[in-house]
This record gives sequence, structure tokens and C-alpha cells, in this order.
Amino acid sequence: MGTIVTIDVYTAAGVTDAEVAELCEQLDRARSVLHHADEVFSTWQPHSPISRLRSAEITRAQAPAEVAEVLERCATARDLSGGWFDPWAMPGGIDPTGYVKGWAAQNALAAFSAEYIVGAIVNAAGDIASLGSLRNGEPFRIGIVDPLAPRQLAEIVDLTGAIATSGSYERGNHLIDPHLGCPCARAASASVTGPDLGLADALATGLAVAGTPGLAFIEPLDKYEALIIGFDGSRRCTEGFPLAPHQGTLPH
Amino acid sequence: MRRTPIVIGGTVAGLVGVLAFHTKSAPLSLPAAAGAAPAAGSAAGPAASPGPGGTRKGASQPASGTSLSPSSAAQQASGVRTAVGPAVNYSYGVLSVKVTVSGRKILRVGIASIDDGGNPRSQYIDEQSIPMLEQQAIQAQSYNIQGVSGASYTSAGFAQSLQSALRSLSAK
Repeated sequence: MGTIVTIDVYTAAGVTDAEVAELCEQLDRARSVLHHADEVFSTWQPHSPISRLRSAEITRAQAPAEVAEVLERCATARDLSGGWFDPWAMPGGIDPTGYVKGWAAQNALAAFSAEYIVGAIVNAAGDIASLGSLRNGEPFRIGIVDPLAPRQLAEIVDLTGAIATSGSYERGNHLIDPHLGCPCARAASASVTGPDLGLADALATGLAVAGTPGLAFIEPLDKYEALIIGFDGSRRCTEGFPLAPHQGTLPH
Repeated sequence: MRRTPIVIGGTVAGLVGVLAFHTKSAPLSLPAAAGAAPAAGSAAGPAASPGPGGTRKGASQPASGTSLSPSSAAQQASGVRTAVGPAVNYSYGVLSVKVTVSGRKILRVGIASIDDGGNPRSQYIDEQSIPMLEQQAIQAQSYNIQGVSGASYTSAGFAQSLQSALRSLSAK
């Protein structure tokens, strides 16, 4: 499985050649982060550390340090989501994929750091990590696909930090209910915004399974907000979810 | 707004990074040095191999950065230009997006190539979802957004190929 990751860096006016060269180096670092994450965590590669862990070829202690870090964070996400995100309850063994994509993209974003960088976006197939803003100081605007009408956007968000969206409205996106052990999703899509994309990714996954009652585990989390779109098209969100004002109405 | 897309060609295990610099001044122009970026060799990447008997329409694009070099952006009269994004995975196979722009306005979005491996359910997806996604892309430009977040594997793949094609045109 391949994921295209796109990276946009917004710079102040008049970036010099030396600064472009520096940004290229930072891009190389971002690429290494993404490639390395794929090498370690791809469940599609039979000899990746995560695959070997899943097949009990190696133990957790024998796996690379990143695996331990990710599993620790998955445990935290499992607790914060009230068990609705649970990589240990996946068929086939531990599967942190719902966390890793966001984690890798967030780490890739960390490669970009310079005074002339006004903002940056790392977009991993719809899971987005960002820093800063547009050149004019306005926040990045991110559209959320309408799960019931994929030709349209359901909402637009003023983004500070990260956004992840999880959903069940398409084949291949089997959301497993950790409590039932089988595919079951109670929302057409769930979007979570917050400072860390890895956690947002995991929370969105859990929320799409839990449905509207799951908003209860997002509300107490400082700086994390969520939006659920139901199978009937209804929207529910946490109080601080950063919907952007937009001209006109988005067609439903 | 000047864009200097630096395209990193090639992938390792299916990930590729595309960097676009958005700077404040200087006129819109295509990159002179897009081809000069280090193309990391192998084109092994997001493009799945076609299944037996799979439907394949149009020319497929290699999943490497070379598809985003200026030479792939056909120059036509009156500033109308087209580009094709890289092949990306979607739920039933592989597709690439073709976009036509005039200046900074998207005129047309379509599928350049699609390979669904002969999956019988994919015909419905191809016939229904793809045209819808094409419409969405044109619609999205009126909302001045910098990205799309969605749970759909198809729309994510489609959006990514489209974004990459737009980058090569420096027209987003």
C-alpha cells in the first residue's frame, strides 16, 4: 500500500538560494522520516519489524526503539479513547496503523524549522499536520469530505495543528470495533483536530467506531476537538471544533 | 506568488514527498530546475501492479517524480495547460488525475488512467464516484482551501494525485 505524502512550505518574501538549499535538506530529512516509518511499520511488508512482531518472530524487546515508543503512545490513546481505539484488538495481532500514519507525518513536519518559514503542511492522504499559517496570518483552511456525497465538502475547518478523519463509507476501510471484535462503525466519518496528528489519528479512528457517544471522550481533552457526520448526514461536534466561516452554503 | 516545486522522484516502500515553496512576491512561473532535484532511482512505489484482466484506460503514469517535470505539462495556446499527477492507490486499484488550468483557475479535472484489477465492484465506483470527485475538485477551488481531509481512500488518493498535478503547474 502506498501513500502519497505532499508537503507545502510557506515562506516569507524573497527566500534566498541558500535558504532554498536549507529547505531541501529539511525536505530530505522529512522524507527519511516517512520512509523509515514505512520500513518499520508497514504491515504489507512481511519482514518489517511490525510484521515480525505480529507473527511473533520477534518480541517487543527485540523490535526497534520506535516500535516501543509507538506502542506506548497507542496505549495512551487507547486509554484516552475509552478503549474505542485499540490496536491490540485487531485481527492478526497488534496493528498500530491507525496511529502510525499520523505519527510519521507529524515527525516529518518537525524537520521544517527556520525563521523564514511562515507555515508548513504535511498531508498524508487526508491526515494533515501543520505549523504556522498562511503568509497573511490567516489560518490554513481544510475541507472535510462529505462522506455521503464525496463530490462535495461537508465543512471547512480553520486549522491550527493537525486534523485526521476516519470513516467507514468505503470498502477497504474496515473499522474494527474492539469490543465486538468485528467491523462496526457508528458514524459515516469522524474528524479530530488537535496539536498532535498521531493522537488525532487514533482518536478519529476510535470515534468513527464509537459514534456520537464517543464525543464524550474528546470533550475533556484539552485542545482536541471533533466533528462526527452521521449516516443520516447529521453533524455533531465538540464545542470548540474550529469550523471556518465561509461564504455561501456548502451544498449538502 | 512564485512557486518552486521541487519534485523528489522515486519512492521507497510507497512514500514520496513533494515540496512546494509558496513565496510572497515574484510572478507565477513553472520551475526551471524541477528535473534537477535528486531523483532517487527506483520507481517502486504506490502504483500497484495491474490485476489479471484489469481494465486499464488511458496511459498510466509512472509513480515517480519525472511525471511532474515541466515537460509533462503540455503547453497550449492562450495559457491553458494540463498536467497529470502521479499514479496513486485507491480502494480498487490505481489511478492518476489529469487537470487542466487556465492561469490559476481549474477548468477541468479528470481521470488520466485507472486500473481497477478487474474488480467487479469497482465499475460502480469508477462510474459514480470518480465523476463526483472530479466535480468536488472543481468546487473546492471556490472555497480557497489548502487541503482536504477525508476518510475515503478513493478521495484521498484522487486528491493527492490532483494536488501533485496542480503543483507541477504552479497553478493552485
